[in-house]
Amino acid sequence: MLPSLGFWIKTAFLFLFRSGRSTAVLSLMLLTAVATLIFLSALAVGISDAMIRNSVSLYSGHISGFALPQALKRENLFVEGVTNVLKRLSRYGILSNEGRIETVVLIGIDPLEELKSAAIWKKTLKGKYLKGRESAVFLSRPLAEKLDVEPGEDLRFSSGPGAASTRFTVSGIYQTGIDQLDRSIAFCPLAVIPAGAETWSAAIFLEEGADPESVISIYHRALSEEYDFKSWAELMPDLKQLVDLNYISMGFVTVLVFGVVSLGIACAFVIFILKNLREYGIMKAMGATPGEMALLIVAEVILMNLAACFIGVLVGVLAVFVVGKTGIDLTAFTSHNRYFTVSAVIFPRLTFYSLGLPPALAFLGSLAAAIWPAVLVARRKAADVLRIV
Amino acid sequence: MIEGKGISKEFRSGRGRVQALADVSFSIETGKAVAVVGKSGSGKTTLLNCVGGLERPERGKVSCFGVDILSLSGKALCLFQRRNAGFVFQYGNLLSYLTVFENVAFPLTLKGIRGKGKEKRVQELLERIGLPDVGAALPHELSGGELQRVSVARAIAHSPKMLLADEPTSSLDSTTGWNLIELMFDMGKEQGCTMVVSTHDPEIIDLADASIHLRDGKITKEDR
Repeated sequence: MLPSLGFWIKTAFLFLFRSGRSTAVLSLMLLTAVATLIFLSALAVGISDAMIRNSVSLYSGHISGFALPQALKRENLFVEGVTNVLKRLSRYGILSNEGRIETVVLIGIDPLEELKSAAIWKKTLKGKYLKGRESAVFLSRPLAEKLDVEPGEDLRFSSGPGAASTRFTVSGIYQTGIDQLDRSIAFCPLAVIPAGAETWSAAIFLEEGADPESVISIYHRALSEEYDFKSWAELMPDLKQLVDLNYISMGFVTVLVFGVVSLGIACAFVIFILKNLREYGIMKAMGATPGEMALLIVAEVILMNLAACFIGVLVGVLAVFVVGKTGIDLTAFTSHNRYFTVSAVIFPRLTFYSLGLPPALAFLGSLAAAIWPAVLVARRKAADVLRIV
Repeated sequence: MIEGKGISKEFRSGRGRVQALADVSFSIETGKAVAVVGKSGSGKTTLLNCVGGLERPERGKVSCFGVDILSLSGKALCLFQRRNAGFVFQYGNLLSYLTVFENVAFPLTLKGIRGKGKEKRVQELLERIGLPDVGAALPHELSGGELQRVSVARAIAHSPKMLLADEPTSSLDSTTGWNLIELMFDMGKEQGCTMVVSTHDPEIIDLADASIHLRDGKITKEDR
């Protein structure tokens, strides 16, 4: 009867446990690499989150609904994963001030609801954001400059030349740095927007991590296939690409860093195993088979990996948790970046891949590193080993 | 019976080719103790290694108890060794990360002996070598003499048919060495082992049933 697998695992454990310092140093390398890569991966996720959060929270939401009929109520759009739905009405027309006129899109919004989810109010340069029902407009800076108005001054809006006009007071002036929002757009409360088209648009905000496409599917199934909903990825393909690029770059970095780290770990493993060459030689002299020797070495590597990866994951998660409390403020590096217009604070976030990939890579890397010494020990004759050690 | 016929073995090193054994033939009867005598570099260790299957000669035949060990596959040879051979090395060569108890139990586990039977056998052996309380100690906590005694206990634990000892007293003072040899011969005979001991100690030669004298890899004399 051959000794059981458990015997070799126990022997491997005793080897590791009783060569404490060597095991500790080697494990430290592994766990540091795992913890660092978990943190870096979580940071990459956090950067993507921040870019998406900045882009969608400024105005558009995770999902935009277009030309929705009045029969469809805002409340109908609250499904699982949706945190808020902002109703908006658009009117095309002319804003004028003492002979200066500009073609604009006047967008009626619910200021109180907008404050809960959209962050455009944070981009106020002068004056104030809109209040509930006042007859006021919130203008972009380029538009205010063209119309030569300041907060507190009056403007008139009409749907076209010769049409009746409505008076608005400039409540505030904003600038986002994003062309689409800074060009010829003015906001006013829904309650005071001039009558016009019957359709409305929606900005739908989701919980962190919720999938916009899933929510759109729910809308199409539950409401109507004809309703036009688009996710942020469709509306902002540049952002989508940037997020993908971020993940791919991080993937490259992870693989490259781990490639280098793996080489270091591999060398350390080889030294660790060769240090014990005498022990393997003695075992072989007692009749341990090459397969059992290879099994012992692989068991040592796996046990060390499991322990180091477990601690590495804990350290990495702890680091993500601690940094996640306050975030990392990258304002100094993002002040001119359109994807960080609201906040440049990065909150690292763990995902299945950011948590799973580094230990998986460490495990595979170390296992690969064990192949050569395992083959060496398995193939060497006991007498050769005992002679050279 | 252990038989060697026309065994030749050479090594390549920085000093060129070294003929460790040249056409060596011998036979050792079952249950006998044989001393392999010679100066350093005469081929004693190589001969023991060839007999124990640790070394494969370029030419010749080694038969142990009717088994041509050179014809065995790698795994079959390992299984043969774990059942039939026990080694006592020059410097003990205990597994340094295992306790004394675990060291002595190792060949028993390899042979498939487990549980209480294994524990009882190890404890008996430790008492037999006069070290009943060192089971939990690690090898580095033992003296040279104690190490060698444990090494003998380990070599004999699984009741092998042959006990091969390579200069077991060379690292010990004469009194300790003599005590060890007595212990090893006594235990070997109790177990009915065929013993092959390499040495240049005349007292060991006297204790053995026969001796094989080597010089430059060749047998120069056989005493029975």
